[in-house]
Amino acid sequence: MDAQILLENALNACVAGLVIGCIYGLMCVGLSLIFGIMRVVNFAQGDLLMLGAYAAFYLVAGWGLLAFLGLAGPFAAAVLAGPIVFAGAWLIHRWLVSQVSGLRTAGSLDEGHFGQLIVTLGLALILQNGGLILFGSTPRAVRTPLSASAWLVEVGIGDTTIFLNKARVIACLVAIVVVVGLWLLLDRTRLGRALRAAADNPTAATYMGINVDRAHRIAFALGSAVTAIAGGLVASYLSFTPFMGLDFVVIMYAGVVLGGMGSLLGAFWGGVTIGFVQQFSALALPPQLQNAAIFVVFLLIIILRPQGLFGRSADRA
Amino acid sequence: MLEVTGLSVAYGGLRALSDVSLAVGEGQFITVVGPNGAGKSTLFKTISGIVPPQGGGIRFCGEDLLARPASDRAHLGIAHVPEGRQVFKSLTVRENIEMGAFPEAGRRHYARTLERIHALFPILEQRHAQLAGTLSGGEQQMLAIARGLASGPRLLMLDEPSMGLAPAVADMIFDRISQIHREDGLTILLVEQRVAEALELCDRGYVLETGRIVLDGPYQTLMNDDRVRRSYLGIGDEES
Repeated sequence: MDAQILLENALNACVAGLVIGCIYGLMCVGLSLIFGIMRVVNFAQGDLLMLGAYAAFYLVAGWGLLAFLGLAGPFAAAVLAGPIVFAGAWLIHRWLVSQVSGLRTAGSLDEGHFGQLIVTLGLALILQNGGLILFGSTPRAVRTPLSASAWLVEVGIGDTTIFLNKARVIACLVAIVVVVGLWLLLDRTRLGRALRAAADNPTAATYMGINVDRAHRIAFALGSAVTAIAGGLVASYLSFTPFMGLDFVVIMYAGVVLGGMGSLLGAFWGGVTIGFVQQFSALALPPQLQNAAIFVVFLLIIILRPQGLFGRSADRA
Repeated sequence: MLEVTGLSVAYGGLRALSDVSLAVGEGQFITVVGPNGAGKSTLFKTISGIVPPQGGGIRFCGEDLLARPASDRAHLGIAHVPEGRQVFKSLTVRENIEMGAFPEAGRRHYARTLERIHALFPILEQRHAQLAGTLSGGEQQMLAIARGLASGPRLLMLDEPSMGLAPAVADMIFDRISQIHREDGLTILLVEQRVAEALELCDRGYVLETGRIVLDGPYQTLMNDDRVRRSYLGIGDEES
């Protein structure tokens, strides 16, 4: 009987890990896009995720603009959080981040990394505390009946059942669609090629007639938007405050480093791996120690495979 | 077509170019030679807009180039094949060529240009799906030139295309450049350290030393100049 319970728990952790992991993967992809193209480590990424969650909240519950969509409302709101945060991030790049990145700092002694560290950390503080002023400290949630119900799947071994939380499964599917869409955008379109060229060699990209500053702005806004969609999806199954970014930024960094800095699909799988680690550690560890488990894996990766699971030891000209 | 007048450039107080003037006419092949550190690459980077000048002017087809941002200049018809090739290493060979065709002029004639590129450099067709970073130095140089051609340029600027290449490969590259000039009638501005080969190809040459044009003239004048013969061609010593 113990073996039965163990199996059931393990299977459920596995499935939950995959489902949550896809959402983590989506937020990691946003961070990775920004780092991969701009070489900027964005410490405010968690707070852009928070903005996404609040955007979704106000669209569905707060102002109720999307309430008419019923059960689909929260997910439509999450997706709409993307363009909203895209616009905000566009302005943030225009006024702040572009001052310390891109061609402006290319070739300078530290490549602008100190400036970027301070600007993005400062931005994180402003967003967190600005959020506290605007949104208040009351935990919010985008309530949907789906987050309290599950599909039950019989696996056919004894009476082992897998529970699939409906809200999470739908969120997971949305995340996969967004990641695939982003991948197609980068791999197949002219814009995507221009972004990759700007990432590969900004000077040569300029010689090709690519406006590298604009490419970076698109990358920053796109990466922020993708993470914000993930935030909107998180909001459909978890309650949150303006400081939620702090929890998730840990997950994002672990996922991105795990997958290999700068590799988009690597970041996605890194996020999925983090989902697994988190859910499995929940079997053995108290919830407070879940992040500790993530860090242990993180450290192991850095010691054993510093280029990440999917990373190449990149040579940049 | 391209007119550089009195151009001065400094990097943090260090003079890289002082009062450089040169002119490139439609359909001409112009060569700038000079030793390492003479400012040849700086000249190109200033024309491409990567380095801002302290003084002087650059006009291209009647337009004031300095008034346009760097990323506009490819769209005006200037293709810069940079020193050290600078291909997009993480993109495939074909994607590199497609990036070259980013300007409108390049996209319009892309199919025809691609055919021409493959005729000039068949190896690039064979390796079209390979990542550019995995190519040999010579192949990367071919790709860099192909990428420049793909933009459908009015002026092709080549910065030391022979750098770091085996002599046979460098000769082949020079042959192709000369072929592009003869058969396609493309205007070419070439910067080289391999002076003999570079001057052989040109209609008119400039000698750049420590940021100044010290000599200019048609091929014959330069080849007969004692200084050029002694310093760059290693001949003429027997007379002294």
